[in-house]
Amino acid sequence: MPDRPRSVERLLPLKPKTLHILLALADGPRHGYGIMQEVAARTDGHVRVWPAAMYGTLRELEELDLIAESDKRPSDDDERRRYFALTPLGKRVLSAEIRRLEAIVGHARASRALRRTARA
Amino acid sequence: MIRVYGRLLGLLRGRDPHEQRAIKEDAELLLDAARARGRGAVAATWIALMWDLLIVGTGHDLARAVRSLVRAPGFTLTVSVLLGLGVAATTTLFALIDAVILKPLPYADPERLVMVWESNVARNRVREGPSPGNVEDWVAQSEAFEALTGWWTASATLRGRDGSAPVTGVQVTNGFFEVFRRAPLLGRTFAGDEYLGRPSIASGRTGGQEPILVLSHRLWQTLGADPALVGGTVYVEGRNWRVLGVMPSDFAVPDVGAAFWTPWDIREAYRGARFPDGPPRDFRFLRVVGRLKPGLSREAATERLEVLAARIAADHPRTNAEWSVRLVPLRDELVRSSRAELLLVFGAVFCLLLLVCANVASLAIARRTARARELAIRLALGAGRARIVREHLAETALCALLTTLVAIVLTTWSLDAAIAFAPPDIPRLHEVEVNAGVVWFAIAVALLATAIGVVLPGVRSSSPPIAPALKDGAPLSGHRASRVRRALVVAEIGVTVVLLVGAGLLARSFAGLQRVDPGFDVRNLLVLRIAPDVTRYRGAQVTDYYGRVLDSIRELPGVVSAAAVTALPMSTIGQDFYRPYWLEGARPEGNAVPQANVRMATPGYFDALGLRLVSGREFSAQDAPGAPAVIIVNESLARSAWKGQDPLGRTLILDYQNGPSPRQVVGVVRDARYRGPRSEPAPELFIPHAQNPYLVMNVVARTTIDPAALAQSARAQALKVDSDQPVHSVTTMERLMDDTLQEDRFAMLFVALFAVAGLITAATGIYALLAYTVAQRRREIAVRMAIGASSSSVARLIVMESLTLALAGAVVGAIGVAAVSRLARSVLFGIAPQDPLTLAATAAVLLTVVLAASWLPARRAARIDPVHFMKE
Repeated sequence: MPDRPRSVERLLPLKPKTLHILLALADGPRHGYGIMQEVAARTDGHVRVWPAAMYGTLRELEELDLIAESDKRPSDDDERRRYFALTPLGKRVLSAEIRRLEAIVGHARASRALRRTARA
Repeated sequence: MIRVYGRLLGLLRGRDPHEQRAIKEDAELLLDAARARGRGAVAATWIALMWDLLIVGTGHDLARAVRSLVRAPGFTLTVSVLLGLGVAATTTLFALIDAVILKPLPYADPERLVMVWESNVARNRVREGPSPGNVEDWVAQSEAFEALTGWWTASATLRGRDGSAPVTGVQVTNGFFEVFRRAPLLGRTFAGDEYLGRPSIASGRTGGQEPILVLSHRLWQTLGADPALVGGTVYVEGRNWRVLGVMPSDFAVPDVGAAFWTPWDIREAYRGARFPDGPPRDFRFLRVVGRLKPGLSREAATERLEVLAARIAADHPRTNAEWSVRLVPLRDELVRSSRAELLLVFGAVFCLLLLVCANVASLAIARRTARARELAIRLALGAGRARIVREHLAETALCALLTTLVAIVLTTWSLDAAIAFAPPDIPRLHEVEVNAGVVWFAIAVALLATAIGVVLPGVRSSSPPIAPALKDGAPLSGHRASRVRRALVVAEIGVTVVLLVGAGLLARSFAGLQRVDPGFDVRNLLVLRIAPDVTRYRGAQVTDYYGRVLDSIRELPGVVSAAAVTALPMSTIGQDFYRPYWLEGARPEGNAVPQANVRMATPGYFDALGLRLVSGREFSAQDAPGAPAVIIVNESLARSAWKGQDPLGRTLILDYQNGPSPRQVVGVVRDARYRGPRSEPAPELFIPHAQNPYLVMNVVARTTIDPAALAQSARAQALKVDSDQPVHSVTTMERLMDDTLQEDRFAMLFVALFAVAGLITAATGIYALLAYTVAQRRREIAVRMAIGASSSSVARLIVMESLTLALAGAVVGAIGVAAVSRLARSVLFGIAPQDPLTLAATAAVLLTVVLAASWLPARRAARIDPVHFMKE
């Protein structure tokens, strides 16, 4: 698909909660409850996602082809549970978003004014 | 609880059962994890889950609702404003009821406070203010009360740095602050022995002790709210009074008009040659409140006091035979008159709110019907019912929010207006405020109203059967429902007709009242009141002082004449004496002695007032203290005393001040309506001021120019004579007469307000019904147009329907008007309830509103495009 690179740009910036959900899936497939726990753990509980909103977001991400249901699951798990994993597009969008954020952080570090306030 | 969550989930996310189950399971896992951390964590998790489900999960829909509101604000705004108006009216009444009836009195243990009356059943006088002599005995001998106090109010003149003002002082007996048990805001109240030997406000006697008082919060504010005022003095009625303290702002005994409280020594007030037996038992004028002993019921206290009253009656049969007592809870006493009226109005307003809700529901149904096809198409294409419910919920939430906002804003405004326009005799009106309770009430009623108006109709329409809705034109609701809606609209129009007729009649009656001839010429009359120091002027000095004041006012350019009198017509300030009189040698026996209002007037009074002499002469300078005692009577008195014979030169005995004494009639004047256009003339009798030099007088000056323009200079002229003597209440006679119509004005505005509310309700009712009809009959109308009906004939069809409704409503209204017309007759002045002009005006207003309300639906019907419709 020729317009793929453009569509990656078009999806940025990600909403904070979307970013956290994608990040939670970066290390491998997880089920819904696992995503909630992972997000809470990564942020020391500062960011929480709750089920009704999360499944809404997951559905949107699925429709955008950023994530997909995964077949990889631990053998001892309840088979009704749905696992989600990043698609290749999802990985590209996530790393594009991280680069975008890094650039912003870099600008911020370079800014002398900000450094002054930081010291003060 | 988890089941509730599941149900809500099903309602909102019903489309995807897998997702629904996953959400629910994860919610349960979260709750399990929270349980390990304690109940606080569980509660917090629940709140988060609900917020997540209802707000975040539906966020898109709320956003969509806000967007659709901005794009097409019509429906949501109309509904919110209508409901907001209804809720605001209900909340306003609730705030009034809350302050007047519900809130406990601001005293400790208020249920132990009782008002004590003397009662004489045989003579049908059951609410007489107790007499000083009896109160003294009750205080000394009754064991029912922890404390008992009596008081009376006196008008006084307060002089400050910038002029003087009339204030009301309350003379209270020992125990007053123990009865009400209210601590002062600043300073202290009176100690028991401080009640002894104090002078009273109006009496010239000094009483031997320094005058002391406690200020009301309001007067303290007027005087600059300086805490240092406590311990200082204020100048009242020609004396300096030491200020001991200031009461809190909600302490208003007997009412909010009380400016200060001062001790009253009953013994001191009634001694000397005039009262050889001490405080009198037959001057029944005090107001008495007692604090019952703890645990003693009112019935038990009444019993004990009745025994005591019987004993006193046996000891003093001349003054106390047949007299007993009555105890009334203070709270009942305060709200006695207003309770029923307030509850009645609240009921009326609540009915209005229900009608508004019904109309809004009708509007919502009409809208849903118009959109039924769109919904059905969306459902047929696979849109989840949940999505539609969610949209509906979001829209409703927005409606409720806007309604609450509109209601609270309008309530704060309307409360200010209500306080400004309400008759001043509603007790505790000053305590009205928008407090937390009132706000919660507004929120609760707004939610309820939104639920009735928007949610109920939505519940049915969220799941319309798809097939019939797609088959356009099929009825979506039964004929019964639409008959009920029709009947409702007819009833609304009927009520509105009654209100419109009422408002019209009151307005006409009010205009009539303003045209009534009060007996004298009210135009170009300046009025001012002077209250000289009782310590400075005595006897002939008073006559001399007023002579000089009147002369100096007459010097003003624009003043034709000036005179003074004790009590002016239309004025509420001034002393009026109601005394017995009889013809020489014909003293009647028993209670049948006729009485007349006695007034003191200076020479030229009738000329200045424009009160025509029917016969005889005015007072002149010759009617001096040594000259023969003369009087002028009005026509009413002449008629009842001499039955048509010429009263000039006859003698009349008047029982006034120093006992019965003969006075000769030298003139007869026209009757005047002393207490306003509504009052009937009463017997009156005038004494030359010089022969009875009364101290506090009202001065009137007839002017050739606008009297208000002379107010300042007339006041200055009076102060030139003696700058220490307070001149106040400078106003015009026209304004005074206007004030007597306050209650009529209030009634007129009030009914007019209701009539407008009724009109709005009826108009929305008609609009909603017609909009619904048009939406439902689109197919039929399209067919009619396709076979040749013109747009105008279709519009006429809709208008005819509304006119039929209006006619039915008018008939209902006419029956209502006939039913209440007897009631109205007692309120109306100089106009019959069948006044044709009012009825015609009502019909015109009703017709206009009905046509206006049907304009939009009629236009919509006329614009239905048959071709477009057939293609669909």
